[in-house]
Amino acid sequence: MMLALKQVGKNFGGLAALAGISFEVHGGEILGIIGPNGAGKTTLFNLITGVMSPSQGDIVFREKSIVGTRPHQITQLGIARTFQNIRLFGNLSALENVMVGMHCRTQAGLWQGLWRTGKQRQEEADIREKALAMLALTGIADVSQALAGSLPYGKQRRLEIARALAADPEIILLDEPAAGMNESETDDLKQLVARIRDLGKAVVLIEHDIQLMMTLCDRIVVLNFGQKIAEGDPASIQANPAVIEAYLGKEEG
Amino acid sequence: MDQWLNPYYLQIVMFMLINAMLGISIYFTLATGQLSLGNAGFMSVGAYTSALLSLKAGLPLYLSIPAGGVAACVLAAVIGIPATRLQGIYLAIATLGFGEVVRVIILNMKVTNGALGLSGIPALSVQIGKQLNSLGLGSGLGGITVQQLSNLSVIGLLALVVIFLVFFALRLRHSRLGRAFAAIKDDEHAAEVTGVDTVRYKLLAFFMSAFVAGIAGALAAHITFYIGPKDFSYHRAVEILLFAVLGGGNVIWGPLLGAGILTLLPELLRTVADYREMIYGGILVIMMIFRPQGLISEETLRLWRSKLFPAAKTEQEAVARRSAG
Ligand SMILES: Nc1ncnc2c1ncn2[C@@H]1O[C@H](COP(=O)(O)OP(=O)(O)O)[C@@H](O)[C@H]1O
Ligand SMILES: [Mg+2]
Repeated sequence: MMLALKQVGKNFGGLAALAGISFEVHGGEILGIIGPNGAGKTTLFNLITGVMSPSQGDIVFREKSIVGTRPHQITQLGIARTFQNIRLFGNLSALENVMVGMHCRTQAGLWQGLWRTGKQRQEEADIREKALAMLALTGIADVSQALAGSLPYGKQRRLEIARALAADPEIILLDEPAAGMNESETDDLKQLVARIRDLGKAVVLIEHDIQLMMTLCDRIVVLNFGQKIAEGDPASIQANPAVIEAYLGKEEG
Repeated sequence: MDQWLNPYYLQIVMFMLINAMLGISIYFTLATGQLSLGNAGFMSVGAYTSALLSLKAGLPLYLSIPAGGVAACVLAAVIGIPATRLQGIYLAIATLGFGEVVRVIILNMKVTNGALGLSGIPALSVQIGKQLNSLGLGSGLGGITVQQLSNLSVIGLLALVVIFLVFFALRLRHSRLGRAFAAIKDDEHAAEVTGVDTVRYKLLAFFMSAFVAGIAGALAAHITFYIGPKDFSYHRAVEILLFAVLGGGNVIWGPLLGAGILTLLPELLRTVADYREMIYGGILVIMMIFRPQGLISEETLRLWRSKLFPAAKTEQEAVARRSAG
C-alpha cells in the first residue's frame, strides 16, 4: 500500500462534497475513479495533492500523514497530477514546461545559475535530456520548442502528463485526460497510461468513458454525491447494482 | 569634446543608469508575476542608509552603498513575508502603502532631518576624483579635466552595475530558478502543484528587487549629494512602474528602454516638464489600451532574432527536429 485515504471528508460551507471516503492505491496499478459530474472526483485529487485540506479524516502516503503538507512538498514526496482544466505555463515552450516539472528533483540555485558552474551545466544538460525523453514518451517531441499555449488541445493534455511525469512520481493522478479527445487520440492515451504503469508508477485515473475505464483499470472506485458507493475490479463494478442505479438514465454524466 | 562632457549631460546619463537599475528592480518582481510598487520605498531606505552611514559614521562609500542594499533587503524581509502572500492588485496597494509609510517615517525622524532632507552627502565623483589624484591623474588625461574624468568614472561604475544586473537577469531566465519564476508568473497554482516552492521564490524575487532598488537609491544619494522625502514619494513609485509599462515588463530590455526614454523625455521637452505627471498618466492609459505588453515583448525579440539571424533560426529548428526524431 502506497497511498491510503482514511475516512476522508470535505465540506464546502454546508455542502459535503466528500464524506467518509476510504480506499488505497497500490504500487504499479491503474486505479480508476468514476462518478457523475459533481460527485467529488476532482476534489479528491485536490485533497491528495494538498491543494485543499480535508475537513475530516487522514491521507497517508508511505506510512506518513500528508495532511497539511504543501502541494510542492507532496509533489516532491512522489505524487504528481494533471488538471481537469488544462493549466500549462502558456508562455513557456513545451520543453520548458517539462523542465519545470523536474524542479523538485534538481538543485541548482541562484549563484550556480549565474556563473554556470560545471555542476550547473551538467544538471541543465540532464534536465534537458530527461525532459526531451518525457516529451518523446508522451509522443509530442516534435513540438518541444513550441509555446505550450499555442499547442492543439490534445497535445496540451499530453504535455500536462509529461510535466507531471518529469517529477518522477510514484503515483500520478490524471484528471479526465481524455476529455475533448477524438477516438484515435483516446486510443493513444490509453496506450500511454498503460506505458506509465509499466514504468512502475501507480496511476489514478478519472474518466467518464466507461468502456475505456473497464479495459484499462485494474480496480475502480465509484463515487456518487461525495460517497463511495463501490470499489472493485471492472467486472464486479459493472455488475454492481448500486453502480448501475447511479448511472441509470445518466449516460456518462 | 568639452561640449559633450558638460556636467549636465553627464548627470543625465547617470540618472538614466540609476533609473535602469530601478527598471531592473521592478522587472525582478514582475518576473514572478508580482506587481510590487514598493521600489520607491526600498530606494529611499537604501539612499538614507548609505547617506547617513557615510555622513554621520564616516563609512567609506564602497561599504555604505552595499549597506544601503542590505538595509532595503532587511526591510523587504519584514514586509515581504506577509506581502508576498497577497495577490495581484492587493500586493500593489499594500506595497504602495508601504512606500508611503516609509516616506512619512523619514519625514518625521530627527536623524533623517525631516522634510529638509540630507545635504552635503559625500559625492561619489569626489571620492573617485581623490583616487584619481592619488594615481597621478590630478591634472586630467589628455583634454579631459579631472572632474570630467571622475564623472566619467562614476558613469563607468554605474554602467558596470547595470551590465552585471542585465547579465544576471539573462542568465537567470535560462536557469532552473528562472524557469521556476516564469512558471509562477504564468500560473502560480500550477507551479506550486508541479513542485515549485512558490512562496519561497516569490519572496526571493521580492528580496532581489528590494536589494537592487536599495543599491540604486544609495548610488543616487551619492550622485545628487542631496536627498529628501519628496524624492521618494508616490510619484517615484509610479515612474518606476512606468518604466516597465512603457518598455515592457516581460523581458529585461523592456524596463531598460522605458527607463531610458522616460529619463530623456523630460530633459528633451523642458517646456512640458511641468506637465510631467499628466504625460505619465497619458502614457499609462495609452499603453494599457494599445500595447499592454509594452514596447518590447518576447514576441518582438523573436521577430528581431529571426530577421537578424535567419540562418541561426533555421539551424535551431533543425536541432529541435533532430532531437525530436
Ligand atoms: N472550491 C470549491 N468551493 C466550493 N465548492 C466546490 C469547490 N470545489 C468543488 N466544489 C463542489 O464540490 C462538488 C464536487 O465537485 P468536483 O470535485 O469538481 O466534482 P467532479 O470532479 O466529480 O465533477 C461540486 O458540487 C462542486 O460544486
Ligand atoms: Mg472534476
